[in-house]
Amino acid sequence: MYVTNYMKRSPVTARPDDTIAEVKTLMANHHFRHLPVVGENGRLLGMVTDRDVRSAYPSSVLDERHGKDELLKVGQTAICEIMSYEVVFLPAFATLDDALVLLDRHKIGALPVVDGRHQVIGIFSIRDLIRAYTILFGLGERGSALVGVKDDGRPRPLTRIVQALEEHDIHFSRLVRNKSGLSGGGAPAISIRVNTMNLRAVHQALEEVGFVIDPMRPEKL
Amino acid sequence: MPLPCLLVDHPRYQEHDTGSQHPENPSRVEAIRQRLRSGPLKDRLLVRESAPASRAQCLAVHDESYLFRLEESCLMGLTAIDHPDNQIGYDSFEVALLAAGGGIAAIDLLERGEPGAAFSLNRPPGHHAESDRALGFCLLNNVAIAARHWQSAHGRRRILILDWDAHHGNGIQNIFLNDPEVFYISIHEHPTFSFPGTGFAEENGAKAGQGLTLNIPLPPGAGDREALEALECLVAPALAAFKPQALLVAAGFDGHADDDMSGLLYSTGLYGRLGIMTKRWGQACEGRVVSILEGGYHLESLAASVEAYLLGLSDD
Ligand SMILES: [Zn+2]
Repeated sequence: MYVTNYMKRSPVTARPDDTIAEVKTLMANHHFRHLPVVGENGRLLGMVTDRDVRSAYPSSVLDERHGKDELLKVGQTAICEIMSYEVVFLPAFATLDDALVLLDRHKIGALPVVDGRHQVIGIFSIRDLIRAYTILFGLGERGSALVGVKDDGRPRPLTRIVQALEEHDIHFSRLVRNKSGLSGGGAPAISIRVNTMNLRAVHQALEEVGFVIDPMRPEKL
Repeated sequence: MPLPCLLVDHPRYQEHDTGSQHPENPSRVEAIRQRLRSGPLKDRLLVRESAPASRAQCLAVHDESYLFRLEESCLMGLTAIDHPDNQIGYDSFEVALLAAGGGIAAIDLLERGEPGAAFSLNRPPGHHAESDRALGFCLLNNVAIAARHWQSAHGRRRILILDWDAHHGNGIQNIFLNDPEVFYISIHEHPTFSFPGTGFAEENGAKAGQGLTLNIPLPPGAGDREALEALECLVAPALAAFKPQALLVAAGFDGHADDDMSGLLYSTGLYGRLGIMTKRWGQACEGRVVSILEGGYHLESLAASVEAYLLGLSDD
């Protein structure tokens, strides 16, 4: 549920007076694309990305001699000149949902995670988010199947589903209510990832409490 | 002349007790027996009795610790192993050995020169069972045990396993994942929807077995047209290129439209077509084809589909 369970801990960080060349090597050695930049006290100042570094260098169309001088000069520049100071971060208690919203809103690949004193304790990337939801949704695990039911519009559908499944000792890892249906343009529906092969028992348990099974067929091509 | 139907059966299949509500229950094999005895196959039916698979035959596939655990669980009176799906009773270990022995007996009959369309009418099914655990109603991996027997007892090294049960045979796939001599092909309902959640198209074998696993997932609602397209365009060329010395079929009938255990919509007629195709494919390996029962939970359609398949397999 929390980003701290899935983030990379004690990440490599940069200082604002590190040079672009140093940061470039640091990124290449660790295969990082995002580095938090921290001050003396370890507090977050901003981020530097591989894109910031790349766009600091002159374009390759410059002639060779000119290019070499330029290259040297850029390499010696401090990263405080190119880093981004707009500090978007996740607090230690941020949830995966919080991270998803921020990553999407700011169109960035990774976010630093900070403690109460704004000291960087980790970094959380889109890859970490994908891994977290894969585990959370029970995807790729042996032994599960997906069952859909039509949302009948009657009150408390999720409560009724959970009660029915628990009464029959049917385990499940995910319950999603989908307003736009399970296949294209359909009526509202609910999908359940159940941990059993015995779909007959699942169907019976759900039908007993009034649900209609949704066959989840894709539209014919 | 049509071929005889070599049906390997055992009366003790009734004794694997899964409780009163379970879809995998003794009525399944009983429904098939009655249908075959009374229908158009009755005059070409040769029924043979299965014998228990030996310890060594099981150990070619399963871990010793799992075999002990399975036997103990049954004898101790536990009602399930590894998951409530896998119901067991006191006799289930012995019955599972008989089920694993069904394919072995069919292979030995063919290798002794008895001509026929060989079908093991066994329960419990096997293709979900892993080397170290039970899964999806399966205790021992009957098809995998048969494949190993065919290799070690008769020297048929290159074996193709075709699995058209509605579910992916995760157990068979994993047992032969790295194996360069056993080709596993499965057509099943897409793993996002269907149990056990494996069998994506990109799972295609590993190491020396790279390319010798072919998974063909079909979306919910797919029927004869989609299955035939897969069989003709994907399975047939893969089979021709592999040139197997023997063909094992994991024959599950739960893709039938009447069967509520999958979202596939196969007709009874499709199983007849499968029988005809399998017979043709078997001619490339001198008729060495053995089919082993997996799933199929709608009693009437199960019985009718087995009959249609065997008619296709044995008709001339
Ligand atoms: Zn099945």
